[in-house]
Amino acid sequence: MQPSQHSRKGVQALLSRTSLKLLPACTLLLTLACASIPKTVPDGPLTRTLTDDAGRRVVMPARVDRVISLAPNLTEIVFAVGGGAQLVGRTSYCDYPPEAKSVAAVGDTMHPSLEPIIALKPQVVLISTASQLEVFTQQLQNQNIAAFVTDPHDLEGVFRSIEQVGEILGKKAQAATLVQTLRQRTYAVEQAVKQKQPVRVFYQLSGEPLYTAGRDSFTTDLMRRAGAMSVTADVPGAWPKYSSESALAAKPDAIILATGGSMGSANSTVIEALRQSPAVLQGRVYKINDDHLTRPGPRAVDGLEEMARALHPDAFK
Amino acid sequence: MMNRVTLRKTVISCALLAAALLFAVVFMSLLGSEPLPVRSSLCALASFGSTSCGLTSDQFDILFQIRLPRIVLAAAVGGSLATAGAGYQALLRNPLAEPYLLGISNGAAVGTMIALVFFGANEWTRPLLAFTGALLATLAVYRLARGRAGATPERLILAGVIVTTFLSSVIVFVTTLMDATRIRSFTFWLLGDLSGTSKAMLPVTIIIAIAGALTLTLNARSLNLLMLGERDAFDLGVEVGRVRVVVFLVASLLVGSSVAASGSVGYVGLVVPHLARLSLGSDNRISIPAAALGGAVFVIVADTIARTVIAPRELPVGAITALIGAPLFIYLLKRA
Amino acid sequence: MLDARDLTIAYDHRIAVADITLSLKPGEITAIIGPNGAGKSTLLKSLNSQVSPSSGSILLDGQPLERLNRRTISRRIAVVAQEAELRFPVTVLEFVLGGRFAWATNAGWGWETEHDLQIADAVLRETELSELSGRLMNELSGGERQRALMARALATEAPILLLDEPTANLDLSHQATLLALVRNRCDRKEAAALVVTHDINLAAQFADNLILMKQGRAVHTGTPEQVLQPQILQDVFEVTVLVDAHPVTGGPRVTPVHDTYRHS
Repeated sequence: MQPSQHSRKGVQALLSRTSLKLLPACTLLLTLACASIPKTVPDGPLTRTLTDDAGRRVVMPARVDRVISLAPNLTEIVFAVGGGAQLVGRTSYCDYPPEAKSVAAVGDTMHPSLEPIIALKPQVVLISTASQLEVFTQQLQNQNIAAFVTDPHDLEGVFRSIEQVGEILGKKAQAATLVQTLRQRTYAVEQAVKQKQPVRVFYQLSGEPLYTAGRDSFTTDLMRRAGAMSVTADVPGAWPKYSSESALAAKPDAIILATGGSMGSANSTVIEALRQSPAVLQGRVYKINDDHLTRPGPRAVDGLEEMARALHPDAFK
Repeated sequence: MMNRVTLRKTVISCALLAAALLFAVVFMSLLGSEPLPVRSSLCALASFGSTSCGLTSDQFDILFQIRLPRIVLAAAVGGSLATAGAGYQALLRNPLAEPYLLGISNGAAVGTMIALVFFGANEWTRPLLAFTGALLATLAVYRLARGRAGATPERLILAGVIVTTFLSSVIVFVTTLMDATRIRSFTFWLLGDLSGTSKAMLPVTIIIAIAGALTLTLNARSLNLLMLGERDAFDLGVEVGRVRVVVFLVASLLVGSSVAASGSVGYVGLVVPHLARLSLGSDNRISIPAAALGGAVFVIVADTIARTVIAPRELPVGAITALIGAPLFIYLLKRA
Repeated sequence: MLDARDLTIAYDHRIAVADITLSLKPGEITAIIGPNGAGKSTLLKSLNSQVSPSSGSILLDGQPLERLNRRTISRRIAVVAQEAELRFPVTVLEFVLGGRFAWATNAGWGWETEHDLQIADAVLRETELSELSGRLMNELSGGERQRALMARALATEAPILLLDEPTANLDLSHQATLLALVRNRCDRKEAAALVVTHDINLAAQFADNLILMKQGRAVHTGTPEQVLQPQILQDVFEVTVLVDAHPVTGGPRVTPVHDTYRHS
């Protein structure tokens, strides 16, 4: 062999021996480095970790300017805490407040599209479990987008959602004020109906087929606070499909029809099976804006007030 | 083993099945999410609605306004779908032909949706457009499945997959145009639901079920020959073109009226005709009326399960028919 | 009985059959032979009105075929197919009774009469299938199934039988049996038969008349002796043949002569 080749071989041998020694050290360093990088933001010292309603520890930037909402109630909350300017994406069903309609839509609540979401470069995506997006959440994580899940089952949960969104968007003060106002209104309603006999109510979410609010629905909590006793309060699930016979046998004294909002004119008549119920015979059928009853957001308290006034009119003279 | 099917055997079998249907109607109406007193209920049923049997007015309403109409609808839907299934199997010369699996129910669903979106208030447009949708889907499947050797099981299933998936996309397209609330009824289209009994349309569904079963039975002998080969049937004197048109129209009408009334209830057109043929022979003169009656019983029972097993909540009836039907379908595929 | 005159059938932009004239007479078996693509099957289909001729006429008992309805034709003409599609379980008796459809007074729903059953029994005996009448068709062997197809055709009591390659799927012992049945029918009941076949020697044994077709035309017609001439056959089939007298029947026997490839 030529001397130059010999030395080249020697250098190679030296390098390879050194590499071998350094390999474990490099691996260790790399692992440590990777572990310390937050999943959502590459290489940022300014991050924070929040726990969402699904128990996940979500890491996001300390300052969030770009957020996408994947549920109408969350969009309403974002605007209600003054974070409208930070909203860069919404679903096609997010129609309130009116300003929301000028925000880019990324699909509907059931099937949001990953691509427009990525293109909008959000820092956080707000998800409501009502949309059953567990798989989607995983996809977002794979793209290093923080997904924050809210899951309110009652009015307290709604207040918590407002506070969480306020914290995420840096609008803690506004959120706190809003929650305080909402609590005051809630308290006022509860006080007004405290002495009244709870009215036995059937909540008709949709007609044929018949759906109602079950144990896990936050609307059931609203009804309880409005001085009503939902005849389906113990039925497992959130929005169960219900037997017409049982609705008939329950003989509700009042019926609430969720209609007029996103529902439009659908669900504006009581189902056949309840036509002979005490509620219908006494004319106690109340149509309330479905968006006030099915969206766990600030307007839920509107729904609470509307229900209470309808069921106990003399308590609000 | 019997060499052939006779009129006597047919009459006896149908009488037995009719009795079973009556039994099912009476006894399934005693079951539901609300308990009814057995004696009083039977008394009320036997006396065709006498109010002096001891039922409270609520119990009376439950029995006669909610349960019985629903059971009758279940019978009409089950009979229609089973008859249609038997018709398609004879026409396409394949024991695996079934309206749900071939996407014909989807066609009817699309038609009904169009009726709901554009002609919402008018109830009569629903079975009409459902019929049109089913007809178009039937034509599509028939065209796609036909080959040199007729509709082989493979071509048939392929044709069904193509039509079903295409129409499913159409259904998704239409449902995105409709209200968010109507989408909640999406399971209605895919899994069926017998709870919405329109008082006006129930008699129509019953009449169509009976008329359809009768028409196909009156063509049973031609179908017997058609089932064994179009060319053979032609040679032996069957007016193949005419019979084909009759079966197409009648089967589509049956599927259309069922889907418009209750969404797609799957596997009925597969399970029931197959069982009828297995126990009574392939002769359509006995297997079509037997399928019609048996289908009625099948769906009544399936729907009773659907509305009692997690009472007071309800399952879609198609979930129960699929639970029973899908394993049977797999078994039949392996045999074929 | 069945007269076709100057029959021309064209489809798929080509002429399948050109200027064919034939006449089926009671008691006679006519065989159509020829190479593939000669139009033999198409001709058969037109005689049954399954295919419409482009020109020429077909008369059934003196009446134009296109004016008669399906049932009338089926009572007079029966087709024996090559095989049956048996996707549904049917017994032999049910299968054979299918042949009585054209005679049903109530075609849609009617039930078989005593007369129908008697005829079915008779043809089952004729085709030696009586013992198998209760068995399912797809449990039968190939030869038995072919006999069942034959039985069904015979059950129609049609005086004209059209057979399209009836021996194609049969082994040697069954081939002769089948054609013997046809011969029997023609002799006893004055039926006429038209057999399309590849088997020249079988045709020579059973047919009274032979029609040799090539590319849609009838190249030669006549008795087997007249048609089965070496030069004629060589022109049509493009292969050297040897024609001698069959040692048993005395009729012509055709043997193709190929180059020898085996070791001697």
